[in-house]
Amino acid sequence: MARTRSTKNDSAETKKEASLKSSAPKYPLGAKNEKPPTMFILPKKATQDARIVNLPNPRNAKPSRYLVCPTTGIYEFTKISAPKSMPRSWLIESSGVEDVSDTSKTNNSNGQVASSADLYVATTIDPLFFVLPALLHTDSSRKGEEKRRLFMTIYDHLDKLETEESHMSEILRWERTRSLLESRMAAVCDSTDGGGDIMFRLNEKKLFAVILSKARKMCQGGLAPSMEEKFVTKALEAPVQVSSQRSSDSKHAKPSTEKGLGSGESTPQAESGDSQSTTATSQSDLSADSQASTAATSVDDDDDGVSAVKVSDDIVNLQRLRTAFSFISSRYLTASLATQLSSSLADQTTSGIDFAPLDAYFTELAKLRAEAATSRAIGDYTKKRGLDAEEEEARAEKKRKLEEEKKKKASESRATKELKKVNTAGMMKLSAFFKKK
Amino acid sequence: MLEARLEQASLLKKVVDAIKDLVQDCNFDCNDSGIALQAMDNSHVALVSMLLKAEAFAPYRCDRNIALGMNLTSLTKVLRAAQNEDILTLKAEDAPDVLNILFESSENDRISEYDLKLMDIDQEHLGIPETDYAATISLPSAEFRRICTDLAAMSESVSIEASKEGIKFSANGDIGNGSVTLRSQSSVEEGSDAGIKIELSEHVALTFSLKYLVNFCKAAALSNRVKICLSNEVPLLVEYDLGSNNSHLRFYLAPKVS
Repeated sequence: MARTRSTKNDSAETKKEASLKSSAPKYPLGAKNEKPPTMFILPKKATQDARIVNLPNPRNAKPSRYLVCPTTGIYEFTKISAPKSMPRSWLIESSGVEDVSDTSKTNNSNGQVASSADLYVATTIDPLFFVLPALLHTDSSRKGEEKRRLFMTIYDHLDKLETEESHMSEILRWERTRSLLESRMAAVCDSTDGGGDIMFRLNEKKLFAVILSKARKMCQGGLAPSMEEKFVTKALEAPVQVSSQRSSDSKHAKPSTEKGLGSGESTPQAESGDSQSTTATSQSDLSADSQASTAATSVDDDDDGVSAVKVSDDIVNLQRLRTAFSFISSRYLTASLATQLSSSLADQTTSGIDFAPLDAYFTELAKLRAEAATSRAIGDYTKKRGLDAEEEEARAEKKRKLEEEKKKKASESRATKELKKVNTAGMMKLSAFFKKK
Repeated sequence: MLEARLEQASLLKKVVDAIKDLVQDCNFDCNDSGIALQAMDNSHVALVSMLLKAEAFAPYRCDRNIALGMNLTSLTKVLRAAQNEDILTLKAEDAPDVLNILFESSENDRISEYDLKLMDIDQEHLGIPETDYAATISLPSAEFRRICTDLAAMSESVSIEASKEGIKFSANGDIGNGSVTLRSQSSVEEGSDAGIKIELSEHVALTFSLKYLVNFCKAAALSNRVKICLSNEVPLLVEYDLGSNNSHLRFYLAPKVS
């Protein structure tokens, strides 16, 4: 019985209680802290001189907070927030520092609650990224050939990034920070000694080499698990074939395309593609044979499923490298530079990496997926169309209403139903005779 | 706080049985003078009004006005657990979630206790004025029930005509027509169960739905006699007495106008 009085009254009572509580709190609370404390995890090696400063974000040039330590370098903050579905907060207490005998006095002021459960983690960032936007800067007043970048000192370069909010000029006064920035600039620039000061000019090839080496380093030993899962495993995953006939068909098709693509190249990648294709053919022949003898057993199906998913390590590594590269460019490089670098990554002559096997695999994968989608559409008779959540909800609601109606009808006696059928035409309602109170 | 002890559970059982087919959910309004009920059927052409005076209970205590909203089918389920001769006690808090119902067997060797969840029911109350009816017929309740069921076989509706000759129930249906005429017996003793008594001040002729009348007759178990009150162009009143303390169960039915 959904409409019973008990539930309603309960809620009313608790509401009353709640309002009572709020009007007369048991423990008086202080005024809400306008600037609640924020939690940071700072690197141990950062010295006491480290400061949180505003520097232009290398990606979008907006001023952002960074931790700069004069001796150990620059750190970026990564915000880790609790999911909205799980509200959390920090209860911060600075115990242990206080004297035990003193606790009675300071007990109340000690603890604090920070309503936002955000956590900021400081991690090392290459200072190179901060100077890159400055190095890229071209003098727009000149035209054509003159638009080339000039050799300039670090001050001249970073001068272009100067904004009201930025503390760049301040940190440049720190000797070690400046030399750190300079050394990083040297890694991507051609430099000349111009009268005591070192002059820099961006060299795109050097820059690409640096970024690529960063990406390679990131790939070593695999990417972070979440990234690996989303961008590598998922992206390379081939659909599991339901119909064994279909999968063996597609496998016959797959080696031939790979062979065709791989034959022209003399790189080791192409070779591996070849060897893979030969094993695949022999495998599929084998499975086709066994199919003939044992009429499509479940083991057979399994085998097909696995072989359809199999991806060579080279392809996985290429995908990892591409993912790492695009992650670095999308996070730390300006959009224009990112597109420029990604095009040079794709170009085999500049990058020295052949992505052809990976691209070939992706085209093959797209074909497989399309095939799987069509086969599913044909084979799945149970569901005529995909149900989205909203539809399902509406259906559940309808069902619930219908059941309620049914229940109500079932609780009606036969006599009640009979009375409902009575022709009351010509009978006035009783409210026409008796007035409402 | 309500506490009402009824010597015989059968009274409440019969009352609820008599009205549960007419109304599904209704409020039992309790105050210091007793327990009252007023409810209309789904079509709002019939009304049932019950009054159980405090004197019908022993003891009766009600400190504040309480509305006990109940589903009568649910109440029937609980009351089914009571023997006719059981002593029934109703208990409720001042703002109750549940109605506590206690049955004690007459030998005092068995006590059963039930809590019935209550509901919030929005119900409009109609003010029913005391009316001087043109015709008042008192007859055995079994007789009235028989007439209604017999004529219900013939037609959907019955026309009731009260005149000096007596009172005539006539039905005109597809298979034919039929009528029952009752004559007033002047020699009816006061308080006797048998006999028909007619008080008439003017001629009355009205038509009513038989299905509803048959439904009212379920209350025949409550009393040996029934009183039918008629006046032109006002609802029919069918009244059953509940005991000897002015407690009653009344049914009102709107007349059919052609």
